[in-house]
Amino acid sequence: MANEKATESDFCKPTSKLGTIQIEPEGIRDLRTGPLVYWRVFRTFVRNSLVRAMGFRANFWLECVSSVCWTVMNLVFFKIVFTYTDSIGRDTGWGENEFFVFLGTTWIITSLIQTFVMPNAQEFSELIRTGQLDFALLKPIDTQFLISFPQMVWSNLANLFLGVFLVIYSVYLLTTNAENPLPFGVGHVVLYVLFLGCGLAILYSVMIAMAATSIWLGRNQTLYTFWFYLTNFYRQPMEIYQQGFWGWALWGLFTFVVPILLVVNVPARILAEPLRPGWDERTWALAGLTVLATCVTMAIARFVFQAALASYRSASS
Amino acid sequence: MPLIEIEKLSKHYQVYQKQEGLWASVRGLFHRQYRRVTALDGIDLKVERGEFVAFLGPNGAGKTTTLKILSGVIHPTSGTCRVMDYVPWQRVNAYRRRFALVMGQKNQLWWDLPAQESFRLHQHIYQIPADQFQATRDELVDLLGLGKLLRQPVRELSLGERMKMELTAALLHRPEILFLDEPTIGLDVVAQHNIQQFLKHYQEARRITILLTSHYMKDIEALCQRVVIINEGRIQFDGSLAEIVGQFHQERIVSLRLGNSNGIDDLSQFGRVTRLQPPQVQLRIPRAQVTSSLAEILNRYQVDDVSVSDPPLEEVFAHLFTRGKSDIKETADSGTAAASDSAASDSAASSAGVVRR
Repeated sequence: MANEKATESDFCKPTSKLGTIQIEPEGIRDLRTGPLVYWRVFRTFVRNSLVRAMGFRANFWLECVSSVCWTVMNLVFFKIVFTYTDSIGRDTGWGENEFFVFLGTTWIITSLIQTFVMPNAQEFSELIRTGQLDFALLKPIDTQFLISFPQMVWSNLANLFLGVFLVIYSVYLLTTNAENPLPFGVGHVVLYVLFLGCGLAILYSVMIAMAATSIWLGRNQTLYTFWFYLTNFYRQPMEIYQQGFWGWALWGLFTFVVPILLVVNVPARILAEPLRPGWDERTWALAGLTVLATCVTMAIARFVFQAALASYRSASS
Repeated sequence: MPLIEIEKLSKHYQVYQKQEGLWASVRGLFHRQYRRVTALDGIDLKVERGEFVAFLGPNGAGKTTTLKILSGVIHPTSGTCRVMDYVPWQRVNAYRRRFALVMGQKNQLWWDLPAQESFRLHQHIYQIPADQFQATRDELVDLLGLGKLLRQPVRELSLGERMKMELTAALLHRPEILFLDEPTIGLDVVAQHNIQQFLKHYQEARRITILLTSHYMKDIEALCQRVVIINEGRIQFDGSLAEIVGQFHQERIVSLRLGNSNGIDDLSQFGRVTRLQPPQVQLRIPRAQVTSSLAEILNRYQVDDVSVSDPPLEEVFAHLFTRGKSDIKETADSGTAAASDSAASDSAASSAGVVRR
């Protein structure tokens, strides 16, 4: 009893500061959640996940080291492959240095997806299962945005630097090649970055739509498996599929239905120009298709996401 | 116009029925049996601005479902609901800026980070101006005594401290309506008491509207003027605590300390003797006869001390909830005393009939 008394006396001391809540505070109806708000929230996510990563330093460095190791082994593997052959596929133009532009692009995309998208897609699935999604639904901000970016696994970004380095180095070798030097200008860089963005958007949409299905399935732990399958297909130049019935079938499936073959192929093609000089019609066609595919997959992902939210049941209290 | 207006709100779930055994599980992969569960069965409710309303009911009665619909987390199966002129499940940003939901069983703060970081995120999401954010936060932190804990990772806070942080996070944008789902669950007496004190103080000072669900009668006794009892998805009673006790419990408890034990056995003529440990005696006497019986007792016995109290609320509710629906129907027509509240509906009247037997 004495204990309770004590807490009561020093608890909730009346302060004069507390004012009555204004009924319909002025301007609250007119508040818009504009781009600046999204930028500030995104920045907070970046900050918070960085602080969090620093909190577990040893873990952070271990993850960096392990992913860098994997990447280096990947490089060594292809170095060995190129001791047996000069190019990937016949007359495709994917020689060693061209292919290393492709490989570096794969690393860049994979690392960005694993840093920004995968942890959140995975977490989204978990939010649904545990009912924690409730809180995201309460916030006056787009729910898809809110669940897409809160967690970032910064250690996965190590490969981004390796990828950028490999791309720059390989492009340097290609441009200084005496026989058939690669033309290189600002246009290449702009288009490359643009189509990297498209590729990321496609993969993001596929992952988020997959994760959203957890709302109907109750649990969807196939995300990482699925991601593994995807990476197995998109990490090769698409020419290797273009022969035989099954090859063409896979190519069609992963170009037009689940357009993941466009993700790495298009930016890498634009930068490395395997069929030099200049971009051939095929490259332009693929680029056009990529822009279209980006819009369509994003729209589909949005639709699936909204439909999923409408049937969200919220796990028990 | 009422702040919250609910009409004929229902919510049904399809729940997958898992069969026992391996073979049945395999069959379940292809053909599933579902059971329809009714969480809410057509409730009507009106809440005015500035009210502090408690939802009370056993587990699975539909309390949390109601709060989730009101906050737009889930869609109802049928019925209408308007809160501040918004339809909650349309999830309009303008509406979402004006209320908050706190759940005792779910945590919305970043687990590995100090609560301060989550507060900052809220500041940006709700677009709270920096000076207002700081003032509100400092005031809440001050009231809840959280000063030193702001920099500690949330995972290292005690349950009580975490709950206070959750409340702070929810109130930063100064919501006009606060939905609280079992905010004191699992807390010790002191922490419970602290949170009650805070809510009481805050609600009185700010005149915000609070809807609370709780299992702890202490919460409800301390805080709410109005109690809505939900059972099996229906509202059984809507009125004040005093009314509940008055209507649903026909007895009061009279505790006596006697100077001697002469004629102690005759006390049973006044009511049910529930404890007999001379010199202490406890009796349950019908409400209407308490005054006359007490006069008589004081006259006939040497009484050193006497107190009269209502039965504990837990008992009242346990009594209420264990009544089946069939009971209600049987006795509905005999129910005369309805809740005097404006919302005295059929269900309230019928549940009044429950205890009239």
